[in-house]
Amino acid sequence: MQLKYGFISADDHVQEHPEVWTKRMSKAKWGDRIPHVERQADGTERWVVDGKKIDLSGVALAGAAMPDRAQEPQRWEEVPRITYTPRERLTAMDVDGVDYSVLYPSVAGRAGETFGRLADPELELACVQAYNDWLIEEWGAASPRFIPQCIVPLAPIEATVSEIKRAVAKGHRGVVLPSVPMMLRELPHINEPVYDPVWATCQDLDVPVCFHSGVTREIQFPPYAGFSPEIASAMEAITRPVSAVLVVANFLFARILERFPKLKVIFAETSLAWGAYELELADHQFERQRLQTEGYDLLPSVLFKRQCHIVGWFDTTGLKTRHHIGLDNLLWSTNFPQATSTWPESRRAIARSFDGVPEKERRQVLVDNAARLYHLNS
Amino acid sequence: MKIQYGLISCDSHAQLHKDTWTSRMSKAKWGDKMPQLRETTDKEHMIRASDKPVERWFVNGKVVGERGTVNCPTVMSDPLRKTFPQRWDEVPSVVYDPAERLKALDRDGVDGEVLFPNDPVQSATFFQGDAEFELACVQAYNDALAEWRQASDRYIPLAIIPYLDTIEAAAEETRRAVKKGHRGIVMLAEPSMVKKGLKHFNDPWWDPLWATCQDLGVPIHWHAGAGIALRVPRWKGYTPNQGQAMGPAGGFSVQAQFIPNLIFSGVLDRFPRLRWVCAETGIGWVTYMLETCDHEWERRHLWTQGIVTRPSELFKRQMSMNFWYERAGIELRHVIGMDNIMWESDFPHSTSTFPESKQFVERCLKGVPEPERNKLCYGNAVRTYGLN
Repeated sequence: MQLKYGFISADDHVQEHPEVWTKRMSKAKWGDRIPHVERQADGTERWVVDGKKIDLSGVALAGAAMPDRAQEPQRWEEVPRITYTPRERLTAMDVDGVDYSVLYPSVAGRAGETFGRLADPELELACVQAYNDWLIEEWGAASPRFIPQCIVPLAPIEATVSEIKRAVAKGHRGVVLPSVPMMLRELPHINEPVYDPVWATCQDLDVPVCFHSGVTREIQFPPYAGFSPEIASAMEAITRPVSAVLVVANFLFARILERFPKLKVIFAETSLAWGAYELELADHQFERQRLQTEGYDLLPSVLFKRQCHIVGWFDTTGLKTRHHIGLDNLLWSTNFPQATSTWPESRRAIARSFDGVPEKERRQVLVDNAARLYHLNS
Repeated sequence: MKIQYGLISCDSHAQLHKDTWTSRMSKAKWGDKMPQLRETTDKEHMIRASDKPVERWFVNGKVVGERGTVNCPTVMSDPLRKTFPQRWDEVPSVVYDPAERLKALDRDGVDGEVLFPNDPVQSATFFQGDAEFELACVQAYNDALAEWRQASDRYIPLAIIPYLDTIEAAAEETRRAVKKGHRGIVMLAEPSMVKKGLKHFNDPWWDPLWATCQDLGVPIHWHAGAGIALRVPRWKGYTPNQGQAMGPAGGFSVQAQFIPNLIFSGVLDRFPRLRWVCAETGIGWVTYMLETCDHEWERRHLWTQGIVTRPSELFKRQMSMNFWYERAGIELRHVIGMDNIMWESDFPHSTSTFPESKQFVERCLKGVPEPERNKLCYGNAVRTYGLN
């Protein structure tokens, strides 16, 4: 690990360019079902997968790099190159004081959910593999400062497991998994033991499972139709991180962490601000419902501290309560290039958020925890 | 109200007597439609199937609540808190008899309590018919609860409102209830998400109600999810208690999502003296809401979109939240606002601190200076509800 700035951003997004899938998937076999950019009647462009437009308000996720943050690019030519060109992305990182950047998708879904909605598992797998190959070939190969993470097909479970193994062998460092597969298509609940091979594989390979916020709008309060686009997207940026509470709460009681005590879990784009409260609440509910009499050995907060992580980027109060959450369980990010990102002023945001935090603890959150999870010291 | 113990619960639940509706509504007019308890052997009406007949609430012939007759597991002498009474004669009078209930308050060291509904009154309970039926049910509820205040000034009743008629009807019922002794209203966070056809919360249609509450000086209340269900499908493998632990453990996510809608709706700017109380929220996450609203407001220059007051300032000026067991949130009290936090016991629900409220308060407020402690435990409630 080489540090120039002292900051590993644990949650950023690559922007997939228009040839990611068309170049890697068989046109003869898949035709127009291949993910591609399509011109709409109104002149704007949208990503289309298997005949359906994907749920993005533009043709890319690039608000932070746009002249006006409230406006996502509507045509590919408007997409800033720093979002999709690895070499220029390195410059964006230097500008913002970022040593390493952990990569989540955009078109493939902030939380890796886009292809999980497809009804055809064969097409799902082909799209997933093209993404995973591309990320290693174009980003992983470009610089060791990028930390690539794979996406996975959600079913059948044998395909999930073998894709994780294939991707990790190629150089992926984490596994981006939609936290609520059962809300994407007819699939078993995430708590079902049918997923155990996935947890076992991640535990054995020692790669974190990453649940990013924003898998489905069904757990987000819908913005009022009368809001301006600016307020509506602000509301989405507000509801998305805290919608993860519903996912975390389930995970703390789901018994997966008990069955796989070495599994490492990252909840990304959560903020840190509600972490302490969630742990206190889960413990309180555990005690009030007397779950110690129902075969649970460990309190939710103990399981969390042993295995889970949350990621902040703007908040200050999460760090004030850092000892309640656990110093080993906190990560920081820039969230580039989403509109909510602190880029290009992340240094200033960090100075504000970490005000009063001793140097050693600051380094733990900004560097050491991510370095440990992604094995950057070895 | 006399402050003897130094503790006012700003979220407790009043169980009304089983005859509340049948004794107040016209039998000739409403017959069996009136909210009432009825015996049933239908296992569909029971979360835990039993061969013995049970009693359930019926409103307009439809069953409401499958868990039991009354939600009061803290007073069922079951240390595991799994027991819900299945028949009215199993319900301890301490939850529905205002005179008896004062003993529970004394036992728990609580001076007074703000009263939210209990069975069968949930978000959509009175939507089971037309506007006239709804109003009759609502008025019977408000009249019965107002009698608690006549029994003791230690009770601070909150009225419910009708939705199916005009907005003037809701404002009128508010005025009528406040005249009878109610100190605020409880409502849905986003009516159009609960019942099709109702106006969206942000619609100016509601303005006469906001104006009425502002003029009367009574706060508007949202309780927990306030009718909004955003949830991850519940795993079938959870036992009832595990489900009851997990569900509420994620519940504040919903409040943290719809309360920002109030902040960005413009309502608080249009009605700057209106107070909004969010009950059973907890406070530890409120900093998330304040910081994220401020962050997005700054990032996206939302003052250019008509949101002129900084979100955290709006919150401090007009809103309150409740706590009951937490510590980290108390450490953040100055960030949230010392005037914006109140205590609650949630009696008699399963998450309640009853009968150990004193111990919980000691644990939460360890190291908090006396004047601050008094504000959180009762001072802010006295001011919010005009209890002097």
